[in-house]
Amino acid sequence: MLTLALALVLVIPVAGAVMAGVARVGEARGVALRAALVTALLAIGVSWVAYPAGYRVMLAGLPWLEHGSSAGLFGLLLDPLATILLLVATVIGFLTVLYSGGYLQKENQEHSVGAEHHGRFYFWLLAFLASMVGVATAPNFLQLFVFWELTTVCSWSLISFYRSPSSLRAGFKAILMTHAGGLFFMAALLVMFVKTGSFDFDAPARLDGNVRGAVYAFLMIAAWGKAAQVPLNTWLPDAMEAPTPISAYLHAAAMVKAGVYLMARAVSSGWAMPEGVGLVMAIMALVTILIALSFYFVQDDLKRLLAYSTIAHLGYVLLGVAIGALGSPIALQGGALHIICHAFGKATLFLCVGAVAWKTGSRSIAGLRGIARIMPLTATAYFVGVLAVTGIPPFACFWSKFMILAGAMQLASPLGPVIMAVVLIESLVAFGWMLRVGQKVFLGPWTPPADRPLHPLPVSMQIALVALIAGCLVAPVVGIPLVHRIVP
Amino acid sequence: MITFRLLEVAAAFLVLGAATAFFTRRRRKVCGWVSVAAMGGAAVLMIAVAVRAFAGAADAEVSVLPIASLRSALSVRVDALSALFLCVSGPVAWMTTLYSVEYMSRYTKDSVAKYFPVLLLLFFSIAGTVVTTDLFWFLVFWEVMTLTSFFLVIYERENRESHRAGLKYFIWNQGAALGMVAAALVLWRHAGSFGFAAIRDALGALQVSNPLLAHTVLFLFFAGFATKAGLLPFWNWLPDAYAAAPSSATAAFGGTMSKLGVYGLLRVFLHLLPLGSFTTSWGVVIACVGLASLFIGTLAALQQDDTKRLMSYHAIGQVGYMFLGIGAGLALLRTNPLLGTMGLVAGLFHMVNNCFYKSCLFLGAGAVEFRTGGRSLAAMSGGLGGVMSATMACSLIASLAIAGVPPLNGFASKWLMYVTGILGGEVSFLLPVAALVAMFISLVTLASFLKYLGGAFLGAATEVKGIREVPMTMLAPQVVLATLCIAAGLLPIVPLRLVHQAVVGLPSAAGLPALSALVGPGPNLALVKDGVVLATWAPMPVALVLLVLGAAAFFGLQRAGGAATRTVPVWAGGEEEEPALMRYRADSLYRPFKDAFHGMYPHVPPLQLSVPVFVRRTLDLDRWLFRPIARGTADAARGVSRTHVGIPQVYLLWIIVGAVAVIMTILLVSGGAP
Repeated sequence: MLTLALALVLVIPVAGAVMAGVARVGEARGVALRAALVTALLAIGVSWVAYPAGYRVMLAGLPWLEHGSSAGLFGLLLDPLATILLLVATVIGFLTVLYSGGYLQKENQEHSVGAEHHGRFYFWLLAFLASMVGVATAPNFLQLFVFWELTTVCSWSLISFYRSPSSLRAGFKAILMTHAGGLFFMAALLVMFVKTGSFDFDAPARLDGNVRGAVYAFLMIAAWGKAAQVPLNTWLPDAMEAPTPISAYLHAAAMVKAGVYLMARAVSSGWAMPEGVGLVMAIMALVTILIALSFYFVQDDLKRLLAYSTIAHLGYVLLGVAIGALGSPIALQGGALHIICHAFGKATLFLCVGAVAWKTGSRSIAGLRGIARIMPLTATAYFVGVLAVTGIPPFACFWSKFMILAGAMQLASPLGPVIMAVVLIESLVAFGWMLRVGQKVFLGPWTPPADRPLHPLPVSMQIALVALIAGCLVAPVVGIPLVHRIVP
Repeated sequence: MITFRLLEVAAAFLVLGAATAFFTRRRRKVCGWVSVAAMGGAAVLMIAVAVRAFAGAADAEVSVLPIASLRSALSVRVDALSALFLCVSGPVAWMTTLYSVEYMSRYTKDSVAKYFPVLLLLFFSIAGTVVTTDLFWFLVFWEVMTLTSFFLVIYERENRESHRAGLKYFIWNQGAALGMVAAALVLWRHAGSFGFAAIRDALGALQVSNPLLAHTVLFLFFAGFATKAGLLPFWNWLPDAYAAAPSSATAAFGGTMSKLGVYGLLRVFLHLLPLGSFTTSWGVVIACVGLASLFIGTLAALQQDDTKRLMSYHAIGQVGYMFLGIGAGLALLRTNPLLGTMGLVAGLFHMVNNCFYKSCLFLGAGAVEFRTGGRSLAAMSGGLGGVMSATMACSLIASLAIAGVPPLNGFASKWLMYVTGILGGEVSFLLPVAALVAMFISLVTLASFLKYLGGAFLGAATEVKGIREVPMTMLAPQVVLATLCIAAGLLPIVPLRLVHQAVVGLPSAAGLPALSALVGPGPNLALVKDGVVLATWAPMPVALVLLVLGAAAFFGLQRAGGAATRTVPVWAGGEEEEPALMRYRADSLYRPFKDAFHGMYPHVPPLQLSVPVFVRRTLDLDRWLFRPIARGTADAARGVSRTHVGIPQVYLLWIIVGAVAVIMTILLVSGGAP
């Protein structure tokens, strides 16, 4: 029964994608919305039933690929870590689809989109949703890799959705850089299979010596590519050419999370990542956080600002995972919690910016003033998003950041205080800057534009924003019990 | 358990009240009254909890919402110190909410949805901060407090000034709070838990094993609390933020929130820190910082023109008094428990008094602003006393109380402080000096409030036509607070008992002298040592004498003299001038003071952040890494494509060249062997 339900979570978005793709003009939206809703509800239900014991089933193998340790090669898995990613992918996926229904309209002041493009949009979006479900429920590295590369393809298509020269370039850049990371993943797969005859999540832990270090390092580079970490970070800001709901979902909540999920998975299965790799990962995460922070101050485009913030926060997750690998599981729990907390916070922020651009046609920090007057809900959502992302209690990321910091302090090495100092400084500066930007854009006197009408924000976008505000409060409540199950 | 249940209900009142207020936001008055009802219910419950705690009902600690990996849980226990803060902040919060109902009608452009729910959540977080015994949750509530108060500061959407002030406020306080997070984590690492008891043990051990780290931790806590209280040198945000928020919210800040700095100070230095040499040395630091604050803050207040800014600087000065008293108390605690307790009690009692008169003053300034629309003393025409006599009376009482004029409550606590300072002369000559400075500053306080009272209320009532007294719901809170000022002044022994109980209930202050050893059995205060009365203060008799003298002056001199009151135009050497021209304006007062102390109150220019261009270029990996790679790849591809010319002979040539290359390679690899 559970197998069937879990399989449906994967199959329904695929079916929805195909149906939305072939639907008549004007019908794609409804089809997609229903598919996403059913997927999200099923995912929540399955997570509820499978908690706390988790669930794992192997369904099929390949006759020509002898797979050592377990019955099959392909199957489904739903443990606490997978649940976190599954909930992020499906719930925020549904909210994105809901929001897109209002966003992709003729009234959109930034990019007017006709109904004839809806089929293409929803096909790729639901295909992406299905790939993310696949990543979350993969029981071994091989299956994870398949869906991992599928997300890359979907992402490429969605970034280039508007088909302008810049968006085509951005999509190409994204697929090149993430795929370069994917090649390292493939290398890691090959090495672990040759050496252990298995793709299981704990296969790297069974390797010895330098080979183990190399496999973990390869996986780490793959994660860097996917999660836009230094030095493979430059594709993400350019990917902001995508429609805003896509940026929110792919480049804040879901796809980039696949990268950090890979590392969380690799480390928490076996807890055998060599210290050296963990150290490199922690240091690079800190470097990423600081470099991303330095780019905040020169952005005028709200979305690019959020993109750099995303890079920094993926750094936080990897930092937590790295500290976990260095011997402090609470930090890894914090990192896993950050996946869900940041997803809700950042999706809120992106969808706010989308709403602002939808209504005013602008994303410029310098050009916007006092729009809380006409968009009180969006303004509220933005401030909640900022507080959630920068970690002000009781909002989401406070809990995860605190756990990461607590983990850092548990380390015996002097790295702990260094991490704490960097994280606290980043938190304060990022918080001050994002708040300042929010005040600039949303508060102050408002002058209505003379040259164009202001359409009221579609209800579907408003519902999505309200749900995400609630999510910023609820995410830790759901996440904390889950991450506490991730123990050595 | 009963305490916990009561607090739960109080929390439900506040949270559900906030939610209800939000949903009734379109009807401003309804929203306000819902909040008053919710806050009233919560305040009654808070007082009930406090009464239980003072009566000695030893409710066990209750822990909920555990976070296993952090080994933390929301633990709740109300000791006497918590109870004191609950029973002071509950009523003050209620009064400010009541006042807000009418007051918020000033802001026609802004929705009350941004005010009442946030205000209730602020009080929720304040109550949470004082009842938890878990450092993690303490910090959570602390930050929620900062967050909610921030939204009150930036309440006016179109007022850029208030946004700047709010941003500054939040960044300062967030920075300080992050420092406390760091300190808490250091302690957690050593204690293995966030519970106060475990932390106390850990801090005690840390004092011995790593004194430098212990000092750093204590500094971070001190900085956090001093920032919230607005103490020098962490004060910069305070005058801006207090002036920017609606006056009713400012009253809540001054009357409840900033006082949690004092709470935190006592909690850390008398609960988490075991009594020892650290207590003494930090006591000296706290006292010095307090002294500097009260001196500089109050002198800066003298120079202000804006009523709310004037009072904000006094908030800095007043908190200096509290820190001075508590610091002196901590410093003396080990060597001279009697004076040490006296100082602690004086500081904490001053905090209680300050809650009453400071919020009353802010409410008074709000009332003036409500009716006149202005806050600038120089621009005020004066004469409001004629039409707003009740507001003036309340402000007068509160002003005299803050200035420490007997027999009001401010004097009672300052008297204790003076006694501590002067009798402390046997320990150090610095203490009498501090007491003298404090006395001098009381004078300055009086002077600056005379400026306020004179500028706003005195003068001919010719230019205040159309101005009426504020509505009853705005007046009643001021009357209540002013009455509390008088009551606590006339019967100081009653609040002193609670304050003393709060101090000695703390682990590091257990076993200190009883209150009767300090000030006698009451109702008068008298410090008796070896049968000799060293100091005494009898408020009732003094008040009686003052009343009799006042009545005698009024009836005996004026009435008996038989002189009738005449109303005549102002006479200026024969010239007839308009009263406005003849008024001595508020900004002309205290010129010599202003000139002498001009610029002594430091101003910090806003920080300008910028990243140099070359750093940005270096960090831009596209620029020097990926784009060259992409370009190189494209060039190479173009080079390869150039070889495809479509002529068969050229392809044949390539085949031959390739074959030769392969053969050569094989030969080289095999070393010539077949």
